[in-house]
Amino acid sequence: MAMAVVLVVLVVGSLLFHYLSPWYFLPIASNWGSIDDTVSITFWVTGFVFVVVNLFMAWCVLRYRTGKTKAAHYEPENKKLEGWLVLLTSVGVAAMLTPGLFAWAKFIDVPKDAAVLEVIGRQWNFNYRFPGEDGVLGTVDARFITEKNPFGINPDDPHGKDDILIATQELHIPVGKPVKMELRSIDVLHDFTVPQMRAKMNMAPGLVTYLWYTPMRTGKFDAFCEQLCGIAHYAMRGTVVVEDEASFQKWKAGFPTFAQMQAEPPGDATAGAASYAVCAACHGAQGEGNPALNAPKLAGQQDWYLKRQLNNFKAGSRGANDKDTYGKTMAPMAQTLPDETAINNVIAYIKTLPDTPAVQTVKGNAKDGHGAYENCAACHGANGQGLWATNAPRLKGMSDWYMVTQLKNFKHGIRGGDRRDSYGPQMANIALMLDNDRITADVIAYINSLK
Amino acid sequence: MTQPASSGTAEALPLAPGIEGVVADWSSDQRAFKKVPWGKAMMWIFLLSDTFIFSSFLISYMTVRISTTVPWPNPSEVFGLNVGGVEVPLLLIAIMTFVLISSSGTMVLAVNYGYRKDKVKTFIYLLLTAALGATFVGMQAFEWSKLIFHEGIRPWGNPMGAAQFGASFFMITGFHGTHVSIGVIFLIIVAIKVLRGDLDTMKPGFMTGRKGTYEIVETMGLYWHFVDLVWVFIFAFFYLW
Amino acid sequence: MTYVTHDETEFVPPMEVDEPELYHPKTWIGKYVWSQDAKVIAVQYALTAMFVGLVALVLSGIMRLQLGWPHTFSFITPSTYLQYVTMHGMIMVIYLLTALFLGGFGNYLIPLMVGARDMVFPYVNMISYWVYLFAVLLLLASFFVPGGATGSGWTLYPPQAILDGTPGASWGIILMLVSLAFFIIGFTMGGLNYVVTVLQARTRGMTLMRLPLTVWGIFMATILALLAFPALFVSCIMMILDHTLGTSFFMPALVDKGQQLGYNGGSPILFQHLFWFFGHPEVYIVALPAFGIVSDLISINARKNIFGYRMMVWAILAIGGLSFIVWAHHMYVSGMNPYFGFFFATTTLIIAVPTALKVYNWVLTLWRGKIHFTVPMLFAIGFVFTFINGGLTGLFLGNVPVDIPLSGTMFVVAHFHMVMAVSPILVVFGAIYHWYPKITGRMLNDRMGKLHFWITFIGTYAIYYPMHYLGFMGVPRRYYALGDTLIIPQSAHALNEAITIAALVVAAVQIVFLYNLVWSYFNGEPSGPNPWRATTLEWQTPDTPPKHGNFGPTLPIVYRWAYDYSVPGAPDDFIPQNQPPGKKAGPGVSAAGLRPA
Ligand code: HEA
Ligand code: HEA
Ligand code: CUA
Ligand SMILES: [Cu+2]
Repeated sequence: MAMAVVLVVLVVGSLLFHYLSPWYFLPIASNWGSIDDTVSITFWVTGFVFVVVNLFMAWCVLRYRTGKTKAAHYEPENKKLEGWLVLLTSVGVAAMLTPGLFAWAKFIDVPKDAAVLEVIGRQWNFNYRFPGEDGVLGTVDARFITEKNPFGINPDDPHGKDDILIATQELHIPVGKPVKMELRSIDVLHDFTVPQMRAKMNMAPGLVTYLWYTPMRTGKFDAFCEQLCGIAHYAMRGTVVVEDEASFQKWKAGFPTFAQMQAEPPGDATAGAASYAVCAACHGAQGEGNPALNAPKLAGQQDWYLKRQLNNFKAGSRGANDKDTYGKTMAPMAQTLPDETAINNVIAYIKTLPDTPAVQTVKGNAKDGHGAYENCAACHGANGQGLWATNAPRLKGMSDWYMVTQLKNFKHGIRGGDRRDSYGPQMANIALMLDNDRITADVIAYINSLK
Repeated sequence: MTQPASSGTAEALPLAPGIEGVVADWSSDQRAFKKVPWGKAMMWIFLLSDTFIFSSFLISYMTVRISTTVPWPNPSEVFGLNVGGVEVPLLLIAIMTFVLISSSGTMVLAVNYGYRKDKVKTFIYLLLTAALGATFVGMQAFEWSKLIFHEGIRPWGNPMGAAQFGASFFMITGFHGTHVSIGVIFLIIVAIKVLRGDLDTMKPGFMTGRKGTYEIVETMGLYWHFVDLVWVFIFAFFYLW
Repeated sequence: MTYVTHDETEFVPPMEVDEPELYHPKTWIGKYVWSQDAKVIAVQYALTAMFVGLVALVLSGIMRLQLGWPHTFSFITPSTYLQYVTMHGMIMVIYLLTALFLGGFGNYLIPLMVGARDMVFPYVNMISYWVYLFAVLLLLASFFVPGGATGSGWTLYPPQAILDGTPGASWGIILMLVSLAFFIIGFTMGGLNYVVTVLQARTRGMTLMRLPLTVWGIFMATILALLAFPALFVSCIMMILDHTLGTSFFMPALVDKGQQLGYNGGSPILFQHLFWFFGHPEVYIVALPAFGIVSDLISINARKNIFGYRMMVWAILAIGGLSFIVWAHHMYVSGMNPYFGFFFATTTLIIAVPTALKVYNWVLTLWRGKIHFTVPMLFAIGFVFTFINGGLTGLFLGNVPVDIPLSGTMFVVAHFHMVMAVSPILVVFGAIYHWYPKITGRMLNDRMGKLHFWITFIGTYAIYYPMHYLGFMGVPRRYYALGDTLIIPQSAHALNEAITIAALVVAAVQIVFLYNLVWSYFNGEPSGPNPWRATTLEWQTPDTPPKHGNFGPTLPIVYRWAYDYSVPGAPDDFIPQNQPPGKKAGPGVSAAGLRPA
C-alpha cells in the first residue's frame, strides 16, 4: 500500500521537479541546437519509459499485495510478451541513437571556413593564441617552454613569429563565424568548456585535440576546466566574450605577436631610478616597504608580477574598488608611468635594490598554517619563492601584514573581482579557502617561518 | 578431487543431436567440463586471466612504441651477440627460445609418465624441465646485465633511441621471467612430491591439507606450456618487429 | 534448448565427484580466524568491507558539508577535498561493493546454493581474504603518510596523478596503486574458487539452468572481474614505474611548474583506455550480483517464479559480454579518435536492451504475484525504481552528443550514484535482511528495518535526483567550490544545501541499521531454518546456521529449478529444490528428464 503510494508520488514528484524547477540547461549560444534536440528526444523516450514502467510497477504492488490476492499465478515464462518488449525497447533505443549519431557526425567534422585559434591549458589557467597574417599557427613543443617563451613556440618556425599570444584568461571571438579551437596542454589533462556553447573537449599533453562551434549570440560566458587537473582545478576559469567583428579585431590588435614579445628590450635601471623616486616616498628608498603608509615591500618581488600589477593599476582592474582604500592611493601613482618602457625601467631598478626580509608583524600558529599552505604551495612554491609558471608571486620574506589585507580583499572580491585582472579572480577563488582570520594568520605565520 | 566414478549424466541419457546436445551436456549437473578435475579447471581459468595481463602488457608496449616521438632502437643490433669478433644478431635469443621450447617437450614427457604413475621417470623429466627453465632465466639475467652494463640501456632511457624500449623490455621480460622462476620452484616441489611418493600415498599437502594426486603434474604442465607460449609472443613482438 | 528448466525430473544422475575431504580445524583460532570455511571467510569479508564502507560514508558526509556550506569548515581545503573524493570513490567501488558482493555474498551463497560442501580450494580462499585485508590496510595507511592520500580522483589519470600539483602525489598514489595490485591478487585467488565451484562442484541434479539467479549474477560478475582486473593491474604497474623509475609509459614530454621533466613520448590516453577497459566491466561487477540477488528476493516475496528465468540468464550473459566493448563511452571528450564515438555509442545503447529485459521481468514477476512486503522486498522494489532512473540517465551519457555537454558535470555523479551508490546498496541491505537469519539464526528487527528502508530509499532519491539538474546547468564535478560564476544562480546553492541535508539524514539512519545488526544478534527472534519459505538449497540445510560442510552427512539432490512457488496443485506454495517429485502433479509439469523430450 504505502509502497504504491510512494512510487506514484516519486514519479509525479520527479516530473514536477523537471517542469517546475528553475534549474536546467542554460540557453544555448551556439549552433549546436542538434545536441539540444537529441537531449529532448532522449528525454521523451526515457521519460516515457520511466513513467510507464514505474506506474505499472506501482499498480502491481497495489493490486497483488497479500490479502488482495489469494494465490500467485503460475507462469514460468511468456516468450511472446518478452519478444514484444525487447522489440519496443530496441525501437526506443534506435529512436535516441540515430539522431545522436548524426549530430556527432556534424560535431567532429569542422567546416572549411572555420577560423582557427588555439587554447592552451596549463596548471591552472588558460592561454590563447591566434595565427598572424599568414593564417598559420607556428609549431610548438614542450621543450621550447621557458619564462621568456611560455607558449613553447618553435623559435625557428617563421609561421610562429607573427602568432598573436594572449596570456590572459579572457578570450574574444566574433559572433556568427565558425571557430575551430585547437586544444593543447603543456602539463596535465585539462578541459575547455563553455556550458552555453554545449561543445566541450579535454586537453592532453603531447596531443592536439579540437572542437568547433559558431557562436550565435553576443555576450560574456564562463569557461571551465572540467577535467580534474590538481589542487586548483576548481579555480581554473576563463571568460569567453562573443562580440561583433569590429570590436573583436580591436581587442585582438591589443596583443603582442611572438616576435614583438621576444624583441622587448630589457628595462634600464638607471632610467628607472628617476621614476622610482615617486615610489620611494611610500615604499621606501630601498623598496623595503612601510607599514605606516600601508606600502608593501617591493625589493625581491618577481619582476613579471610587479609589471602585471602596475598594468592592472593603470588599467583600473585593480585599485578601482571603493573598499580598496590603499589600492586607490596606488592607482594614480601607477598612472605616472607613461608606457611599457617606463614600467620596465622602474622594475629594472627595483631589481637592483637589496632584498632584506621584511619585519614580521603577524602572530599565528605556523604548525596549523602548514596544512593550509599545502594548497598555496601548489602555485607559490613549496617555500613561497613564487613561480612564473603559475603566475604566483613570491611570499616568503615579503610584508606579512600586507598579505593579510590582500587575502581579505581577495576573499571579499575587493581585489580579483575584475576579470581583466587575469590571475586575480583565481586567487580570489583560492582565498575563499581561508574560512576565518585565525587560519589566515596561521598561514602567514607559516610563510614567515619559511627559510 | 579424484577421477570421477562415472562421467554421469553425459552418458546416462542419450544426447540430443547437434548444438542442443552440446549445450545440454555442458549445462548438465555437477560438472560443466566432464572428467576435468578441479585443479585443472582452476588453472585454465587462471591462465585465461593471465592471458589478459600479458595482452595488456603487449598492447601497451605497442601503443607506446607507436606514440613515442623518438626512433625505436634496432633490435637485431641491440640483441646482437659478439661471437669471436663477429656480430651475430639475435643469437642469444635464439638459444633461449630453443631452451624454453624444449623444456615444453620434457614437460610433456613428465605429464605422460605421470599418467602412468611412473615415479622415477616423472621425477627425472620434471627436474629436467626445471633445469631448462632455470637455464632460461639464467640466460635472461645474462642478457639483462649485457643490456644494462654494456649497452647502457635503462628503464628511463638509452643511447640508441626511444626510452620506452628499455622500459617495456625490462617490464615485460621481467614479468615473464618471474613467471618462469615461479614455475621452476613449483616444478621442483612437485618433483620432490613425486619422488617421495606422496602422490601414490595421497599424502595430504603440507598447507592445503588436500590429498596429493598425479593431476598436479598435469596442472603444472598447463602452466608451463602457457609460459612458453607467452614467450613466443614476446619474442615475436620484441625481437622480430 | 527445448528442455524447460522449470520441469522437475525423476532422473538422478550418479555421483561424478567424490566429496572433498574438508580441513577440520581443532582450535577456536582455526575455526574463526584462520578459517577455511567459506561461510566464515564470507563474514570476515563482509565485516571488513562494511567497515571501510563506513569510512567512505563519513568521507562522503564531509564532502557534502563542503559542497553544502562552502568556506565554513577550515579543515576542508582544496587538497583535502580532492583526497576525500578520491578515497571515497575508490573505497566504495572496489573495497566495499566488489569485496562485499563477491567476497562476502559470493563466499557465503555459492557453496550453499549449488549444494557444495565448501569452495573447491578452501585454503586459497582463506589466503584471498588475508590479502584483501592487507590491501585495505595499505589503503587506509595512505591517509597517514607524508603528503596524505592521493587526490587524483578514483580514475587516477596520469600525468596529473603523479605530478606534485596533485595532493598525495609522492606517497599516497604509490600506496593506492600497490594496494590495488594486492586487492587484485587477493581477489583472483577468491574469484578462481567461485568460478570453479559453480562450474565443477555442483551437487547432483543441479544443472546450470537450475541455478538460482543469485549464483548466476555472482558467477558472471566474477568472470568479468577475472578478465577486467588484469588491465588495471598492468596500468598500476606501469604507473608505479613511471613514478619511481621515471619510465614514460603514460607520460609525454611536459612542463611541470615551468620545469622540463625527463618524460617523453608516453600516452596519457593509453592509461584511460586501460583504466576503462577495467572500469566499465567493474561497474557491472557491482551491478550483476545485485541483479541476481534482487531477482531472488522479488520471486520469493511475490511467491511467484521469476518471470522468464531463461531470458534472465541470457540477459546476464549478454550484459557481461557487451560490457567489454563499451568502455570508451567514458572517453567521448578525452580527445581519443572521434570516430570511436560512433561504435561505442552504439554498443553502449545496445546494452540497454538486455538490461531492459531484466527490469521488465522483475516487474512482471510482481505482476499477478502474491506480494509480501517484507523488509527485503521493500529494498528490492526500491532497487527496481532507482535502477530504472539511474539506468535511463546512463542512456543520456551513452548517446555521444548528449554526453558532450554533460560529461564532467554533476550529472555524471548523479547518474552513477543513482545506479551504483543507491541501487546495488539497496540490494546489499535487502540481502543482509534476507540472509541474516541463515547466518545467525535470528531475524533482524522489522520495525528498525522498515525505518532504515524508508529513509534510505526516499532520502537517497532526494539526494541524487535533483543533482542531475546541477549537471544540466553545467556545475562541474570534483569542484571544491563554485566561487563566483556567471552561470550558476544563487538558488543552486540552496539546492546544494538541501542535498547535503538529505545526505546527512541518510548517513545518520545507517546507525539504526548497524544497531539492528548488533541488537538482533542477541535479541532477534529465532528464525528457524527457512523463515521466508524459500526453495533454494541454503534454506534446506539440516542446521541453522549451517555447520562446516553445510549439508550434514549427505549432499542434497536437486530435482527442480529454484523457482517452484505457488505451483498449482502443490500442497504448499513453495517446493524446495531438493524435494523429490511425485508428491503432486499439475499443468506445466512433466516428468521429462534433463534431456529434450
Ligand atoms: C553499477 C554501476 C553502473 C551501471 C549499472 C551503469 C550503467 C550504465 N551507464 Fe554508467 N557509470 C557508472 C556506473 C554504472 N553505470 C560510473 C561509476 C560512472 C562514472 C565513472 C566516473 O567517471 O567516475 C559511469 C559513467 C557513465 C558514462 C560516462 C559519462 C562521462 O563520464 O561522460 C556513461 C556514458 O555512456 C555511462 C553509461 C551507462 C549506460 C548506458 C548504462 C546502462 O547499463 C544502463 C542500462 C539500464 C537502463 C537503460 C534502464 C532500464 C531499462 C529500461 C527501463 C527499459 C527502457 C529503456 C529504453 C526504452 C531505452 N555511465
Ligand atoms: C558504491 C559507490 C558509492 C557510494 C555508496 C557513494 C555514496 C555517496 N556518495 Fe559518492 N562517489 C562514488 C561512489 C559512491 N558514492 C564515486 C565512484 C565517486 C567519484 C569519485 C571521483 O570523482 O573520483 C563519488 C563521488 C561523490 C561526490 C562527487 C564529489 C565531486 O565530484 O566533487 C559526491 C558529492 O556529493 C558524493 C556523495 C556521496 C554521498 C552523499 C553518498 C552516500 O552517503 C549516499 C547515501 C548512501 C548510503 C547511505 C548507503 C551507504 C551505505 C554504505 C556505504 C555501506 C556501508 C556499510 C554500512 C552502512 C554497514 N560522492
Ligand atoms: Cu584544468 Cu581542471
Ligand atoms: Cu561505463
